[in-house]
Amino acid sequence: MSIDWFAFVIVAVATLVASMTVVGFYGLGVRLLAVATDAAPTRQPAVRLGAYACFAVCVAAVLYGIYLIVPAFH
Amino acid sequence: MNFPADQIGHQVDLTLMVVLVIALALFFDFTNGFHDTANAMATPIATGAIKPKAAVLLAAILNLVGAFLSTEVAQTISGGLIREGEGGIQISPVMIFAGLIGAIVWNMITWLLGLPSSSSHALFGGLIGAAIVGAGFAAVDYGVVVSKLLLPAVLAPLIAGTVAYLGTKLAYAITRRQGSSAAPKRGGFRYGQIFSSSLVALAHGTNDAQKTMGVITLVLIAGGFQSAGSGPVFWVIAACGLAIALGTYSGGWRIIRTMGSGLTEVKPAQGFAAETSTASAILASSHLGFALSTTQVASGSVIGSGLGRKGAKVRWNTAGRIGIGWLLTLPAAGGVGALAAWVAHLGVAGIIIDAVAGILIILAMYVVSRRSKVGHDNAISDVDQAGEVVKIKRKRKKKKDRLEAGQ
Repeated sequence: MSIDWFAFVIVAVATLVASMTVVGFYGLGVRLLAVATDAAPTRQPAVRLGAYACFAVCVAAVLYGIYLIVPAFH
Repeated sequence: MNFPADQIGHQVDLTLMVVLVIALALFFDFTNGFHDTANAMATPIATGAIKPKAAVLLAAILNLVGAFLSTEVAQTISGGLIREGEGGIQISPVMIFAGLIGAIVWNMITWLLGLPSSSSHALFGGLIGAAIVGAGFAAVDYGVVVSKLLLPAVLAPLIAGTVAYLGTKLAYAITRRQGSSAAPKRGGFRYGQIFSSSLVALAHGTNDAQKTMGVITLVLIAGGFQSAGSGPVFWVIAACGLAIALGTYSGGWRIIRTMGSGLTEVKPAQGFAAETSTASAILASSHLGFALSTTQVASGSVIGSGLGRKGAKVRWNTAGRIGIGWLLTLPAAGGVGALAAWVAHLGVAGIIIDAVAGILIILAMYVVSRRSKVGHDNAISDVDQAGEVVKIKRKRKKKKDRLEAGQ
């Protein structure tokens, strides 16, 4: 019986990296939105833009993850 | 062309059996979607981030899309778990039929008793039990059972739980704003949960619909309609995706009725971290062909993320009860599957007995589901049950005071 332990390492690392990326950037986006509401009116658009960039990173990360697992794309 | 009469009869029997198994498998798929919508969509509905109707429709569509993403898990079941063809043991459609009956009966029993269970493990248990009775112990590839089924069952929830724990810590750390007079404003995570719940629905479609694809492909191979070792064909993928999506869509209405009745308290930031790690773990595992229980992975994440919050404690009693339910599923469903296979081996009469028993059980399930009130214990998903494992202190201030006192 051969057990592919490496496969579990891949699952663990992939889960960790994907989740941390998505949660981290989404969290940052949420924080920046909160900062924007408190910030001076002149700085607000810039901070808000940063927040949306963070959300975009999340979406991109998810799409990349899905791209990786769909055999039809390879 | 002159076939002997009994051979034609045999062919008809075989085709009938295969059709019966496909119908039963699709029904199983439907109930899977029906049962598991709550896992994916309950939280964002509860927090009001998304309207119930939209949430249920979204989950159904993503289930369908998810079914088309990969076929690795289906091939684990159709080409690995049970040895088929080429000098190996021939599995017959009758055995697969018996295995499915076993799985459905065990699901019914656990549902009635309110035991935490996994429909995926019930399916594998039933199949393994039926194959052993039908073709002996050599019919099952135990290497595949251990490496693609048992180990993932233990490791995937652990991985998801650990990552959810870290994710929750990270989410809270990033959004903590020291010295700011404003509240942390973590409300944004409420809308993020629409996003993360969608990912869970997608992952659910990917892993769970594939299990049914695997079973249908297995029966097509066993019946000689498809060559051994080949993957699921398009109509099988489409049918399984549709069945799980329809199940999700119709099951969703049950959740709406239960809103406001004892949902476990999960904060948006925590829920977001839990769902993201659930989806990542399931998608990564599906890619490697691990046939997981999505419920177990989601439960692992909910527990992990609960522990990531301040002042969380584990209720070991509840955790133990859930663990025992999980451990029991595989052998118990195996026993029922074995019994069904043994009855089926009596011949046509046995198959009819199995079929009648199966239909009665399904009818009983329907009647009971209509009659019983929908309450916290039966309508809320197993994942929420897992949420109760973690006890979270409500009064943070008190805890802080105690910490400062040096306790």
